[in-house]
Amino acid sequence: MKWVILMVSDLAFHILLALGEGPSHGYAIGKEVETRSGGRLDPTTGALYQALRRLTDDGLIAPVDAPEDADLRRKYFALTRDGRRAAAKEAERLDALVRTARQRKLYPQRA
Amino acid sequence: MRLYRWLLRLYPAALRREYGAAMEETFARRLADVRRSGGWRLAQWWLREVLGAIVVAIGERSAARARRRQIQLETAREVGPMQGLQAMRMEFRYAARRLVRNPAFTWPAALTLALAIGANASIFAIVQHVVLNPLPYPDSERVIVLDNGALGLNMASGIGMTEGIYYQYLDRAHTLEQLALYTTSEATLTGNGEPERIRVAAATPSLAPVLRTSPALGRWFTQAEGEPGGARVAVLSHGLWMRRYGSDPGILGRSITLYGVPTEVVGVMPAGFAFPNATIEAWTPTPLSRSTGFGIFIYNGIARLREGVTLDAARADLNAAIATIPEVYPEYPNAIGYHLDLIAIPVTLKDAIVGPVARGLWILLASVGFVLLIAGANVANLCLVRAEAQQRDIAIRRALGAGSSGVVRYFLAESLVLSLAGGVLGLGLAWGAVRLLIATAPTSLPRLAEVRVDAVVAVFTLLLAIGVAIAFALLPLLRPASLVSALQGGGRSHTASRGRHRLRHVLMGAQVALALVLLVFSGLMVRSFQKLRALDPGFDASSALTFRLGLAARDYPNRAAMVAAHQALLDRIAALPGVKAVSATSCLPLAEDADCFGNTLFVDGRPFPVNSLPPGASLRAVAADYFQTMGIRLIRGRGIERRDIDHGEPVVVVNQALVRAYFPNQDPIGQRIASSNPNVALAKWLTIVGVSADTTSRALVEAEPAPAVYMPISMARGPEMPVQSLIGPGITVMSYVVRTSTPPRTLVPSVRRVIHDVDANLPMVQVRTLQEMLDRASAYMAFTMVLLAIAAGVALLLGAIGIYGVMSYVVSQRRAEIGLRLALGAEPRRVIGMIVRQGGLVTVAGIVAGLAVALAASRVLGSLLYDVSARDPGVFLTTTLVLLVVAFLACWLPARRAARLNPLDTLRAD
Repeated sequence: MKWVILMVSDLAFHILLALGEGPSHGYAIGKEVETRSGGRLDPTTGALYQALRRLTDDGLIAPVDAPEDADLRRKYFALTRDGRRAAAKEAERLDALVRTARQRKLYPQRA
Repeated sequence: MRLYRWLLRLYPAALRREYGAAMEETFARRLADVRRSGGWRLAQWWLREVLGAIVVAIGERSAARARRRQIQLETAREVGPMQGLQAMRMEFRYAARRLVRNPAFTWPAALTLALAIGANASIFAIVQHVVLNPLPYPDSERVIVLDNGALGLNMASGIGMTEGIYYQYLDRAHTLEQLALYTTSEATLTGNGEPERIRVAAATPSLAPVLRTSPALGRWFTQAEGEPGGARVAVLSHGLWMRRYGSDPGILGRSITLYGVPTEVVGVMPAGFAFPNATIEAWTPTPLSRSTGFGIFIYNGIARLREGVTLDAARADLNAAIATIPEVYPEYPNAIGYHLDLIAIPVTLKDAIVGPVARGLWILLASVGFVLLIAGANVANLCLVRAEAQQRDIAIRRALGAGSSGVVRYFLAESLVLSLAGGVLGLGLAWGAVRLLIATAPTSLPRLAEVRVDAVVAVFTLLLAIGVAIAFALLPLLRPASLVSALQGGGRSHTASRGRHRLRHVLMGAQVALALVLLVFSGLMVRSFQKLRALDPGFDASSALTFRLGLAARDYPNRAAMVAAHQALLDRIAALPGVKAVSATSCLPLAEDADCFGNTLFVDGRPFPVNSLPPGASLRAVAADYFQTMGIRLIRGRGIERRDIDHGEPVVVVNQALVRAYFPNQDPIGQRIASSNPNVALAKWLTIVGVSADTTSRALVEAEPAPAVYMPISMARGPEMPVQSLIGPGITVMSYVVRTSTPPRTLVPSVRRVIHDVDANLPMVQVRTLQEMLDRASAYMAFTMVLLAIAAGVALLLGAIGIYGVMSYVVSQRRAEIGLRLALGAEPRRVIGMIVRQGGLVTVAGIVAGLAVALAASRVLGSLLYDVSARDPGVFLTTTLVLLVVAFLACWLPARRAARLNPLDTLRAD
């Protein structure tokens, strides 16, 4: 496993989460990232594709065939095994942080 | 979309192949999303996407390069492969640091850019809001002005509409969805505070539907209110409602007194509604009826075209409708023997409003564009000087493996920081400048209230700044060879690389050429303005005060009462200390929106001509001593005197233009004329007793002086006589003229007191000196001229700085050579000559190019000029000389410094 996997950025993690639902394309991924982050993340088209390119280069996602009826220009991406692992690792890291916050009474206990 | 596709070219080719299409698709769908939210958000989003695309493109390029380099050149580890955004951020930070550390370069460059960008942003703000933006009515491109011309009267356009033509269009024109008529006038508004005169538009109830605008409060007129005998109602402007009634929503249903008649307020228009113009403060229904017949030309028409109808189609349709008028109206002039030869001249409302000023504004925008180019050339020169100084810096980068994209990045970061700083400063300047321009612009500039610096202007400015930045970043790269040679050259070279000099000289020549074009343009405007101001208006404008008074028809029900009231006012004003003479007229020369009366004349003993109409004349009612008070020369006979007024003498004075038009080669004195057929009741023959000099009437520049008739107020039309009687101008509203022996303005309080004593309900409006009226008449030309002159002045200054900079640099580069020459005994004079000759050659080349451009382009000034040819040799010669002198000075100063060099110092220093 490459070291980058431990260092997925905020935007990259959101993209991985978006692809957790199944293969998707640029516009839909961008939309999902924006809604999921409550508008906090709203990457420009350029920034979005930069992140997609990097994740592809790092092997966390991979281009896949588009569905039959899709716009020909669209590019579909799906999670790779490394990608799933990276997402899980990042979630684990966040979970550990939340647990620490709870222990130190910085965050309410689960009801 | 095309812009975005173009931006994608900035991406590394491999990436573009891989992701380009997908990015375009995503971008298009997002654009569609944002479009729905419109306006501000769209502009914001665009700006973010464009900047984002540029930043990412630069980042991707550097990342691609970093990947390549990682494989090729592990030794460059120290510089470190930086990734995308982070790399660009670093680059920006370094660039900003470099700039801050070098204030001698940064400040002049940033300020020059700020000035030029600010000037462009301000003029663009005006062009955008006045010329480009659609009018503030829904589907406004379908709204047209229904004008007519009467070829039989030698009037190609501008005579407006009559009731008859209105009904004709209503019944037969298939291209119009809806049409409306309106007239404007002044009315006294009383009740609830001081009486005041306001401008009112009387319109058919169809006006609001034509414009697709409805009141913000209350309602517009009903169809019944637009018929004769309908209820007296009014809709107020937002401004009047706020100013006089404190924005009280309870105004609806209240009664105000307009024209001395109780009128119910039924609505308030939205803020910014300014039809036909911003001076109108209330709208009333104009009663219209088919029983009027063909009617008279006192209306303006406006209509909404049906969907998909072109202006040409409408013109054909309207002219077809006009052609059948004689069948419908037996009393139509054609039917009784003479021909108006009516033609319909529909123009879009926007052209009618904006057309007269659009050309001037575009020329101004082009001029400040030139200034930006000149400023850009200066900054580019500064950049070149810096680039030379930075050669080692860049050479090190290259040695560490930076490709040419790395060098681009280096310059791009710097120039982006620089021009964005200039852009932000410029935007601030524009914000201030636009306010200043609005405050000083002539009121004749339409849509002024809509002008402001908004998101679109901001985006324009920032795109301009980015464009400038990219151009600068590319300039130093035009000669990449010299960069490489810098490493090898070490630094001791006696002549700088030729290519760099050539680039510098091209920039300098271009500056000279552009500056000359602007100088010629502003020179032509200045010359026109001089001629305009030297024009004799036909009256004496010095120390005279004018104002307008309108009597209420309710208080002064007939002509005798009105004449008596005006005469009483004149007598009391005449008795004031400081008053040399006083008189009044229904139609003052150059008065804006004066309701002046025009008609063709009957001449006693002459049958009314068949088949052609005599020229129209402007008829003016005047009080006694009008010519003496205005300083209008009497050529023959006498003026209108007090006894003419008191005894109701049927006399008139005519001007020379009227004599030429009606009595060529005849003695006009003793001839009898009339405006309306004297065989009909009310009208009388009036005997010509004097001939006066011509004056300007509506504008300073008129093709020919208009024929004019001056009749005593006691012979003009009183309030009890219908407009249709056509016997002469109404005397309800009169412009008073007071010739003073003291500065005119100082008399205003005592005049106001006298008026108040006579009638406390009389507001004194449009208080001006005659000189101010003259100034206003030339205000638009003055405005264009001053802005052009400022642009030309800045261009000349920047051009001089540019030449000076280049020549100084050349001298500094040739110090060693010059020192050597001086040491070998060359005369300083010859050294100066050598340097000046070098600069002079470039200047002359620039001047030749500039003259060619100016000759070809000055024709666009065309209608803006007055009595000056667009190729006026005097102007071309003077401006060329001015530029030559300035350019010579800018070359000579550095040359003289060179000649004063101590040869030993220069050789030692190197």
